[in-house]
Amino acid sequence: MRKKYIVGIAAVAAAAALTLSGCSTGRTTSGSSDSSSTTIKKGDLIGVALPAKTSQNWVLAGQDFKDSIEKAGFKADIQYADNSSPVPSQQAEINSMLTKGAKVVIIGAADGSQLTTQVATAKKDGAIVIAWDRNILNTKNVDYYVAFNNFHVGELQAQALLDGLKKEKGSGPYNVELFAGSPDDANAPLFFNGAMSVLKPKIADGTIKVVSGQTTFNNASTQGWLAQNAQKRMTDLITGYYAKGTKLDGVLSPNDTLARAILQATKSAGLPNPVVTGQDSETDSIPLIMNGTQYSTIYKDTTLEAQAAVDLVTTLSKGEKPKTVDNDKNNDNGKIIVKSIELSPVLVTKDNAVEAYKNNPDLEKLATANQ
Amino acid sequence: MSNHTILEMRSITKEFPGVKALSDVSMTVTAGEIHAICGENGAGKSTLMKVLSGVYPYGTYTGDIVYQGEVVQFSNIKQSEEAGIVIIHQELALIPELSITENLFLGSEIGKRGVIDWTQAQLRARELLARVGLDEDPDTQIKNLGVGKQQLVEIAKALHKNVKLLILDEPTAALNETDSQHLLSLIVGLKERGVTSIMISHKLNEIEQVADDITIIRDGRTIETLDVHTGVDEDRIIRGMVGRSLESRFPDRTPHIGEVFFEVKDWTVQHPLDSSRLVCKNESFTVRRGEIVGFAGLMGAGRTELAMSLFGRSYGTWLGGQVFKDGREIKLGSVRQAIDAGIGYVSEDRKALGLNLLDSVKRSTVSADLRKISKGGVVDSLKEFDVAEQYRKMLRTKVPTVEEGVSKLSGGNQQKVVLSKWMFTDPDLLILDEPTRGIDVGAKFEIYRIIQQLAEQGKGVILISSELPELLGLSDRIYTIFEGSITDEFPVAEATPETLMRSMTSHSKKDALI
Amino acid sequence: MNPLRQLFGGRGTSAGQYGMIIALILIVAIFEIATGGLTLSPTNVINVFQQYSYILILALGMVMVIIAGHIDLSVGSVAAFVGIIVAQAMSQWHWSWWEAILLGLVIGALVGAWQGFWVAFVRVPAFIVTLAGQLIFRGANQWIGNSTSVSVPESYQTIGNGFIPDFGPNTGFSNGTLLLGLITVIVLIWSEARGRAKRRKMGAELVPMWVSIVRTGILVAVTLFGTYLFGAGSVGTSFPVVAIIAGVLTILYGFITRNTIFGRQVYAVGGNANAAALSGVSIRRVNFFVMANMSLLAAIAGMVYVGYAGASGPADGTGWELDAIAAVFVGGAAVSGGIGTVAGSIVGALVMALLQNGLQLIGAESNLQQIIRGLVLLLAVAFDVYSKTQGRPSLIGGITRGLGIGRDRTKATDAPAQVAALPKSIDDQSTVSLP
Repeated sequence: MRKKYIVGIAAVAAAAALTLSGCSTGRTTSGSSDSSSTTIKKGDLIGVALPAKTSQNWVLAGQDFKDSIEKAGFKADIQYADNSSPVPSQQAEINSMLTKGAKVVIIGAADGSQLTTQVATAKKDGAIVIAWDRNILNTKNVDYYVAFNNFHVGELQAQALLDGLKKEKGSGPYNVELFAGSPDDANAPLFFNGAMSVLKPKIADGTIKVVSGQTTFNNASTQGWLAQNAQKRMTDLITGYYAKGTKLDGVLSPNDTLARAILQATKSAGLPNPVVTGQDSETDSIPLIMNGTQYSTIYKDTTLEAQAAVDLVTTLSKGEKPKTVDNDKNNDNGKIIVKSIELSPVLVTKDNAVEAYKNNPDLEKLATANQ
Repeated sequence: MSNHTILEMRSITKEFPGVKALSDVSMTVTAGEIHAICGENGAGKSTLMKVLSGVYPYGTYTGDIVYQGEVVQFSNIKQSEEAGIVIIHQELALIPELSITENLFLGSEIGKRGVIDWTQAQLRARELLARVGLDEDPDTQIKNLGVGKQQLVEIAKALHKNVKLLILDEPTAALNETDSQHLLSLIVGLKERGVTSIMISHKLNEIEQVADDITIIRDGRTIETLDVHTGVDEDRIIRGMVGRSLESRFPDRTPHIGEVFFEVKDWTVQHPLDSSRLVCKNESFTVRRGEIVGFAGLMGAGRTELAMSLFGRSYGTWLGGQVFKDGREIKLGSVRQAIDAGIGYVSEDRKALGLNLLDSVKRSTVSADLRKISKGGVVDSLKEFDVAEQYRKMLRTKVPTVEEGVSKLSGGNQQKVVLSKWMFTDPDLLILDEPTRGIDVGAKFEIYRIIQQLAEQGKGVILISSELPELLGLSDRIYTIFEGSITDEFPVAEATPETLMRSMTSHSKKDALI
Repeated sequence: MNPLRQLFGGRGTSAGQYGMIIALILIVAIFEIATGGLTLSPTNVINVFQQYSYILILALGMVMVIIAGHIDLSVGSVAAFVGIIVAQAMSQWHWSWWEAILLGLVIGALVGAWQGFWVAFVRVPAFIVTLAGQLIFRGANQWIGNSTSVSVPESYQTIGNGFIPDFGPNTGFSNGTLLLGLITVIVLIWSEARGRAKRRKMGAELVPMWVSIVRTGILVAVTLFGTYLFGAGSVGTSFPVVAIIAGVLTILYGFITRNTIFGRQVYAVGGNANAAALSGVSIRRVNFFVMANMSLLAAIAGMVYVGYAGASGPADGTGWELDAIAAVFVGGAAVSGGIGTVAGSIVGALVMALLQNGLQLIGAESNLQQIIRGLVLLLAVAFDVYSKTQGRPSLIGGITRGLGIGRDRTKATDAPAQVAALPKSIDDQSTVSLP
């Protein structure tokens, strides 16, 4: 009985082994550690991994990528992280793209420091990694970084705040509060530091007074770029520092979503509109800019930014060397200074809105309609 | 007071799968009287009342119910309540977190278009509370009332529904003496205002005190209806309740009784939720080796409470008393300690307390003493199987394999699994709480045999049972319990159903001694 | 017994469980075709194990929590909390990787003791305790990490993204993986043979020989195929370290739930707490350790994930509790407790992981993926519930009992008063200590 059984097992095992040997070709050795040798052909798969759809910008970006990648003659695989667990889902998506044989992965990171394993895999599989809009940190496996110059964004925001204060609130000194973006976004400190590079001298000479005294990035940050967090902090600041009639003249806001949340808080508290900056030119904010509620925003033409990444791919596919900025310390990811393609953002106020949006019919229409 | 008949139940027969709960029961209730129903546990009293009130709808029983001169066919409680028949169950149906007012009008709210008129409701509530003599703010939450007062709220609720026929199922079972008296006088007061009552009760002195007529039910049949005013005493009622002959359905056994090895002194336990009630009052008793000691008492007398409080304080709050085994005091602070001290407890409700119905026979058998078949916390599955097989054969449990789930067994075989589980712990004292409840006659005989074998092995057995014949047929000695006190002790030779029932329904002996 | 049931498990295997194995095979087959062979490509299989091992690890603890009749909503936050401390220990205090891991385990155990204390001794429902824990430990994570990501050194990342190292002659495969596969095959055959011998010795019912052979044969074939997949990946990859961690834990917890006293007690408490208490089981002790163990496993999952991601982030672990709970229920556990197996939960976790992976490979959007995973969870449990109602007298018995009719109840109709007065769990009452 027992013998028969063991013989049976052995037979099955042998059969299974035979079946397998039919398909076993040994391990694949396509892996190449030098990505410069990677050749990209028309029709190759380009993977684009974007964060969760928390702002309109990301939604637009997906469409822009799809259009421009296909126009350039490649195949596009656009994926968004899911809202509930953005990091693991993005990690999985990048892996899937590589499994599908993507030659280039363009990554708008959900958390730039948690993708080391995926970009290492990409390297191993011989794919080119392009960090898009947000840098990927603590790894040497990023090839290029395509983004707007985010330090410059901050500088523009701060300058707009100063201009707006002078224009709308008379002469100083001005009471101002500062907001920054999410600490897990590598760009957020850049925006903030850029702005502070302009504001610090003004704080020092007393033109600007931060009543709450909260002037560090950690104090000012907004977890997850969430409107509710910004609105809560603004409400708390008003209760704490502006309840007894202290005037609030201006607020530095890193983007439009937060700007609207901040304005919501001042409105609920019954305060007059402070001068509020923004970024991203969201459709909800443009009417507010046109009617003077929000002072400024930044227009980073996502189409341009996506196009820049795709152009980079096209250049590489021709075997040419792309023009990059190689030594910008702001592009230090903790391991290397990533070669980058930097684009310039445009500051938008009521006065130049129609002109600034002339490339984007939707935004232009909004601007004209609310003029 | 008119003398016409308000209710007549004619030849009511009610069957459950395999069991005839009521067969050909008839009774007549005169308007404006208090009609008591007496019978042993399981005689069919509550079933009869559930038929009357529509809990068991028309069509699930045979026979006629004539109410106020018409044949009625209730298909649910709502219909019977509309006709003025209200039943108050043993378990009160009040919602503890709601106020008296909210409870009173639950299901019949005062108001218009779904909006409650709280002013009207309050007024009506005060009026109803006055009628039942309950001096409480109608906004009081039910959970802040004692059981006695809750009972009154139930009656007030019935009055709100214009009750004509009030059915009370063991109304005083959970009440202390004062509350009981208050409730009884309220029922008498209602009678004077024309409300007819049917009262199920085990307390014969109370029945004697307030009832006009008594219908006795035994084994699902009407035995007789007695008129209290023509002079009925407790003996007469008891004879009617236990009248059945003792069949010879117990295996023969010659007891070999040793010395006293287990002794309980002044055991006192408080009700877990109601601190004003004692469920065990200074109870003392002894068990000898090889002896089967019966505990007789009616429902709610405190038998299970005594057993469970002894078994590692599984019930109530221990207030005092000591336990001695082989002359040494033992601590029974937890179930584990009790098991380690050699005590086993086969619970009354084997599905709720005795078995994990998701488990197999094998796993259930060893569940009370896993350490015996384990090494370093790892269960030896070979030993486990052996043990389960051994008990399956010994107790002749009918099951295809010990790996079968216990939920698939019949009641008798489930009980054998529970017995195996406790026999496996090798206890010196095994407490059996209603070991044959819900088991058919054939399996009962086998269980009796097992109980006797345990005694033969020199173990002490405490047998709690509601069936007097069972106690008389198996026990060597019987204690009677009434309202949490041990009232009497009989060698089995001196016990008869009548004498037991007397001690189970009054403090007779203690009273006599004082 | 029908042959299918004999094949996929012995006693206690519900229709839902082997139903899920079939579902797993179907999912793999469908996606294998839809993706043109990508699903079962070496790279992808390795990816799946690296990516979703945290769900496997969490499911091991969660199934015990659910069997005991509780739930744990805090696992994601606990994982993130431990993750950030471990990352800080290495990046700020310059601890070595193994010191950091030890610290993480200790913290996990302490967090577990905290949650176990509230559940077992204060008797706050686990749902509430762990909902509070979800907030507390998420907040603690962001407080410690200043809501930023903290990177960890490469030496540590091995536990999340490392592989069995290469050694020996060039066989075209990873030699370590081949060795592991071979050992697994031997163990599979040996344990089946030993199981049969043991049952023969017990005199218990034996499954037919063909069942043993086919069952073992399938397992051996799966193992060999897995060995091929893991061994044939690109150079430098092989069997992932996390899969070894998850595998060892699976075997360990499978053993604990099936063969130890503690495992029995967990089932007993979940199946019928009162009966367990009256059998001498300390319900408090069981509840304490079940909850504590869950947090310990959450700590391991968190540490593994930090290794995989290369950094501990403020949003780590969000939604993990739901992944783990879903895996356990898809694996055939019952919401009411008392039912569930480690093997089933692993199958459940694989179903959910492969489903998500497959959907990603065919390029489904993440919002669509969530909808599909939600539906699969619903259908899986519905199927389990449905199959249990088919021809299972226990349930019908349960219904008739609930309605107060049926044979067993008739004798007892006068009885329920004192049963109703009993506390929900008897253990709840035994609070008085000896004077």
